[in-house]
Amino acid sequence: MAVNGFPGTLQALVTSLSLRDEISADEVALVEGLARRRRFLHRGEELVSQHSQPGESCVVLSGFTAREVVLADGKRQITALHIPGDFVDLHALLLKVMDHSVIALTDCEAAYVPHRELLRAMERSAHLGRLFWLSTVIDGAIQRAWITSSGRRSATAHLGHLICELYRRLAAVGLAEEGRFSFPVAQSELADALGFSLVHVNRTLQDLRATGLVSWKGSLVTILDFEGLARLSQFDPTYLNLVKMPR
Amino acid sequence: MPRYYIDSSDGNFSHVDSEGVELAGDEAARYLALDALPDMVREVLPDGDRREFAVCVRDQGGRVIYSASLTLTGSWRGES
Repeated sequence: MAVNGFPGTLQALVTSLSLRDEISADEVALVEGLARRRRFLHRGEELVSQHSQPGESCVVLSGFTAREVVLADGKRQITALHIPGDFVDLHALLLKVMDHSVIALTDCEAAYVPHRELLRAMERSAHLGRLFWLSTVIDGAIQRAWITSSGRRSATAHLGHLICELYRRLAAVGLAEEGRFSFPVAQSELADALGFSLVHVNRTLQDLRATGLVSWKGSLVTILDFEGLARLSQFDPTYLNLVKMPR
Repeated sequence: MPRYYIDSSDGNFSHVDSEGVELAGDEAARYLALDALPDMVREVLPDGDRREFAVCVRDQGGRVIYSASLTLTGSWRGES
């Protein structure tokens, strides 16, 4: 389902780029002036397909998306979660062929920006180019945190760490506050993101609820004690780089 | 699709599944139950020398249709 030629706003991207450095009015104008096509996706649809060679990069404007790798036996690993303001495949500007797919975990709105537009903006502003580069570097930092969770954290700390991370990322772009955020994903999707069996997700949720640090009802996640959850999960937000610095 | 409930215990912490999950059939439920065992083992071992990990599958009527367990038995082999 594609809607062409309808501009849509790139405010989510501007917000996201402004999290870690000041951006000038000229840079905002460059970003907002990027040609793009806007697309609405239903839950479960693909934003970007594995083995495709995209000529454009996709920014999430609303909803949750995930990078996924599916094995021959149907087992799936979700390797990253993306929120509004994130580029899901900026790396394809350089890597060319996608080694994974990106799917909509909820109904989504996305903007596809042609690579030539991105290159033009980066030629006009080297600083903007570095901020685009930074976003792929942050993706890498998040992957390191996820690998550490998968390999070495207890299940409860792994889930707690993910909740802390999502809260901090969503709060930074104004989509979470007072410890609460909406995370409307199925338990099977959570299982695929954590690398747990479905039963273990249930057990871990029960264990985490029993700590009294988090409540999870329907799709509403409420962190009742962020400091306590961060301590339990050894969550150190340094890797998210949510600090404004000259870059 | 029928709904199944998968209960589990690591010998210390028991989980009674009150939500259940819709699956294609009994085989899929068995697979899901067995799939949980290694996760549970990884979570608590090494911790003691005796431990039983168990899962069971209940059908919509509450009847247990499948159960499985893994037992850890460890012991020192020195002179007694």
